[in-house]
Amino acid sequence: MTTINFKGYEFTLENKGPFSSLYFNKQLKMAICFADEEYIPIDNFKEMFLHISGMIEKLEVKHLIFDKQKLRTFHQPSMEWYFAVWKPEMKNKGLVNHYKILPKLDWFEKAVEAGKYEIFQKFSKEILNGITITYVNSVEEAIEDIS
Amino acid sequence: MEASYLKEQLQAKEDMLAQTTRFLVQMQNDLEEKNKELSLVNKDIFDSISFASLIQKSLLPDTDILKIFFKDASFRVMQQLGIGGDTIFIKNTNKGVVFGLLDSTGHGIPAALLSISGTLLLKELMTSMEIDNPQTLLNLLNFQLHKTFNNSKSSIAHKEGIIFSYCSTKNTLTYSSAKGKALLLKATGEINELPNSKLSIGDEPNAAFELFEISISPGDKLIMYSDGLTDQFGGDNNKKFSRERLKKLLSNKSGETASDIVKAVEEEFARWKGINGQTDDASFMILEF
Repeated sequence: MTTINFKGYEFTLENKGPFSSLYFNKQLKMAICFADEEYIPIDNFKEMFLHISGMIEKLEVKHLIFDKQKLRTFHQPSMEWYFAVWKPEMKNKGLVNHYKILPKLDWFEKAVEAGKYEIFQKFSKEILNGITITYVNSVEEAIEDIS
Repeated sequence: MEASYLKEQLQAKEDMLAQTTRFLVQMQNDLEEKNKELSLVNKDIFDSISFASLIQKSLLPDTDILKIFFKDASFRVMQQLGIGGDTIFIKNTNKGVVFGLLDSTGHGIPAALLSISGTLLLKELMTSMEIDNPQTLLNLLNFQLHKTFNNSKSSIAHKEGIIFSYCSTKNTLTYSSAKGKALLLKATGEINELPNSKLSIGDEPNAAFELFEISISPGDKLIMYSDGLTDQFGGDNNKKFSRERLKKLLSNKSGETASDIVKAVEEEFARWKGINGQTDDASFMILEF
């Protein structure tokens, strides 16, 4: 069984795809999704998040961390699907917090800002309601936030 | 698989670049639009303050009129923001002339409003009620200012200042001061600070300001100034201009005309200030007897 530790909490590998890996800690009711490559194609992105949906239902995941530090390409259709389709459903299934860790790259942060700007133009800021999205610098910071 | 992955990633990168560029262009356009709006607002404010400055300056006495009552006279009022709380006034009376320098707290528009309201009140007291005693004028100004602005609901208006009454036949100056700053410069270069009260105008409704009297000799020069002059930060170590620096400068200029002394003080003030912003409204007046 593959595990990793953060702040004394053991996270167990739940799913390993070609572009991402998914870990879970029962005590914290927390899942961590690591992007393992520079780019995740939309089909794999959806597959990964649908797997997370199942975990939210079955394992009662309340807190999700998406560590995007390895990403170097931001894909707008994936982000649109996340905001418009996946996220509203997860609110009803019990997800409370979604933490995001971005690469420490100014241009990437600007690209994310540009993507969100276009999404808010298209769907309005109401799309943000529900799950709290928080940008953090590390997994440890997110764990401290919910502790 | 690898080739299709790289191709898709390349396309996603191009899309990301195009999207970010669109966003940055949009942000730049928005900023330019905001900049235009701010420029218009800034122009309106600047024009308004420029005109208000003209109105406030028009309330200051004319130097030529001062020279009717004094052997020589000159002054400079340097408001920090074009308009401000410093003012100088003069009014002839049956016995001589009443004059003074007042410094309202703060600066900019609020201080200018307080300054003008104070000046108008003083003129009312001197004209309609024919009051020419500096002590009475200061006590009434204090009472009225406190009643109007510093009542149980608010405490927003305070002033410092000094009011003189000069009788040329007796060669005496009577004055009352609320932290007002004044110096008497003798023709010899000797310079003395005039005692003042430690109370500000508007602090206590029933404050009783003292009345002082001093004798003057022909050739003596009376200097009034606001603390914005001596409190100006600058110099090599960013310190205050200071009262001592002002006194030393004046002692060295005792034989010069009022306008030359004012010019020298103004130049030294500007040199001291350097690239620093002006700390407060700063005023300076010199009258020779």
